[in-house]
Amino acid sequence: MMAADERALLAETLDQLAREHDGAELTKALEHFGFADLLAGSPRVAVAELFTAMGRAGSMSAAIQDVLGQPLGDLAGQAGLADLPGRAGHDAARPAVLLPAMGQPLAGIVQDGGLTMRGLLLGQRQADVMLAPLSSGGEIAWVRVPDPGPQARRLVAGLDPALALTEITLTPGMAAGPAAEVVLAGKEAERRWQAVAAAGRRALGYQIVGAASQMIELAVSHARERVQFGRPVGSFQAVRHRLADSFVAREGAAAALDLAWDADDERLAGMLAKSLAGRAARIAATQCQQVLAGVGFTAEHPFHRYLARAMVLDRVLGSAAELPTEIGAELAAAGAIPRLAEL
Amino acid sequence: MQTAEFRAAVVSWIDDHGGQELALSPDRSGSIDAVLGHQRRIQRMLFDAGLMRWGWPERAGGLGGTPALRAVLGEELTGRAIVHTAPWSMHEVLGPAVLEFGPPDLVADAFPRLLRGEEIWCQGFSEPDAGSDLGSLRTTATRDGDGWVINGEKLWTSFAHHASRCVVLARTGEPRSGSRGVSAFLVDMDTPGITASPLRTMADVDEFCSTSFLNVAVPANRLLGSPGGGWQVAQYILSCERGPIFWQRGAWLGHHLAKLVPAARDARSQALVGDAFQQLWAFRARSMATQRQIAQGNLPGPEASVDKIMIAATDQAVFDAARELLDGGLETDDSPAGAAWRREWAYSRAATIYGGTSEIQKDIVSLRLLGLPRGA
Repeated sequence: MMAADERALLAETLDQLAREHDGAELTKALEHFGFADLLAGSPRVAVAELFTAMGRAGSMSAAIQDVLGQPLGDLAGQAGLADLPGRAGHDAARPAVLLPAMGQPLAGIVQDGGLTMRGLLLGQRQADVMLAPLSSGGEIAWVRVPDPGPQARRLVAGLDPALALTEITLTPGMAAGPAAEVVLAGKEAERRWQAVAAAGRRALGYQIVGAASQMIELAVSHARERVQFGRPVGSFQAVRHRLADSFVAREGAAAALDLAWDADDERLAGMLAKSLAGRAARIAATQCQQVLAGVGFTAEHPFHRYLARAMVLDRVLGSAAELPTEIGAELAAAGAIPRLAEL
Repeated sequence: MQTAEFRAAVVSWIDDHGGQELALSPDRSGSIDAVLGHQRRIQRMLFDAGLMRWGWPERAGGLGGTPALRAVLGEELTGRAIVHTAPWSMHEVLGPAVLEFGPPDLVADAFPRLLRGEEIWCQGFSEPDAGSDLGSLRTTATRDGDGWVINGEKLWTSFAHHASRCVVLARTGEPRSGSRGVSAFLVDMDTPGITASPLRTMADVDEFCSTSFLNVAVPANRLLGSPGGGWQVAQYILSCERGPIFWQRGAWLGHHLAKLVPAARDARSQALVGDAFQQLWAFRARSMATQRQIAQGNLPGPEASVDKIMIAATDQAVFDAARELLDGGLETDDSPAGAAWRREWAYSRAATIYGGTSEIQKDIVSLRLLGLPRGA
């Protein structure tokens, strides 16, 4: 357990880095800081502090790839990839983890030796190879895929161009197909996918909660300063209660994220935390936008950046609209309501 | 005593005493007499086994340990519907304040009886004209020699018609003294001049009462805290409510959600169950941090209003999901099980009202946690 003052210092440093840099620059700054070592030694602190900070700052880095790659470290080695996540200066040799396209359970399918892929690369890691969780004969297989080249990559502008999300689309006829290699299949591949998904859901959950926190902060400071009818608009109960609703949803999601690390079912706790984070962001987005009124609708005001970031990340690895059904299905299959963590 | 060790002792006690057979059957859970009679028996057995005494100090007949032990006991009992959360909460609502503010001999005399289930206590706070605005209460306590005489009417006093004692808030200051002129008393319900008239709830249960006080003589040693210190007692009671009581309510909700899970066969039902469960889990995560704070001796402050808003919303989400999943059963099933669902669903409607409405809680959150300005 890390001492409270040590954690506070780390949080402050990561917060500063996340505010001052973005994208490749932030990735470089985090490597210099030694984020991979922190992630290996204290994953809980590393993920909570960095991803909350990036959410609040509106920045992104390849640290998400370090997090996604952590449960696959030896897999990368097995596939002949000498450089595990965390070795500075060898970006090109580190694999990137391909996530399923929005609304999809996996990143594609292997069939008759051919690959069909639709996936997302987060965090702008320029990698020579990708590790992709694909469906293969009704099971999950991890497939090592060489960089399929520019015809398969699309830099997504979309709702949030600053996120620099890359979409990968590969059909059987395209170049990368034959060199692809299944590196893990069966139960262990399934277990690794669950671990990657849980790690990703926690990290993105923190980032979404960070963005929601920023939306709340912007709206609260507006409500205190903006005067109408001779009083701050934040003194009207209708306005205050919108912000209280946002805050309560944010607090619940943050608590669920922190407890996810202690839960005896990592997969379910990850789904819950991500879903609650998305839910909090949806509530904050609606309520804070209304409180910010006209100014929050302008491109000049930063609100829309956090709104866009949260909405896009909400859709990765299951959204607040999709996950409750999946969670309910899990509960129905188990026939019970688990406590997950004890007092 | 550690919580894990205590939990194991509670669970094995439950198993040794019939396990799920200890639960009150649905055909009897509509009768307050049956519910309270059942609870008294369970409580007596738990007291004799020592389990009811953990988490309370020795001077009150307890065995020591933190309130987290009480939360664990409540969780294991309400999570199996062995006791109903509403009456089981009463010693949690009022006990800590009597311990904190009551004279030592009163505590030593009355408290063990409360823990053994010999006595039920009720809470005389609300009045016809003082609900959320508690500071405008009109019941008076006037000096009479060494003691006091109470006059007035209390409303929504749960279990008053079965209670042995009542924590009464009454005005000892000037009529316009607001919250400063209020004092708290522990009043015996068999004192002449007290009439508790049950009000039937929409859950079809005689749970709460209108309770009138006509020249009720109260001895000096029944004052809790100092004259004019009643607001402090009331605040203490309200913050104690955020502890083990919410925790066990969460377990009660989990128990009911578990009964619905087998019916969640299609995506729509699964979405409802999943949403109710995620709210329950968020509450559990939030409340766990609060319970740990309490175990370290920190009484919850305004941040516990977040817990209150969450548990109330979760309560309604769980029973709204029940209404959908029972697929007409809640509206039409006349079996004891159907009636029990109806009662619980109806009771959940009050979750955003009792113990401080969600609107009052949102005011606390926005004014004290977000620092927004008070209205004109």
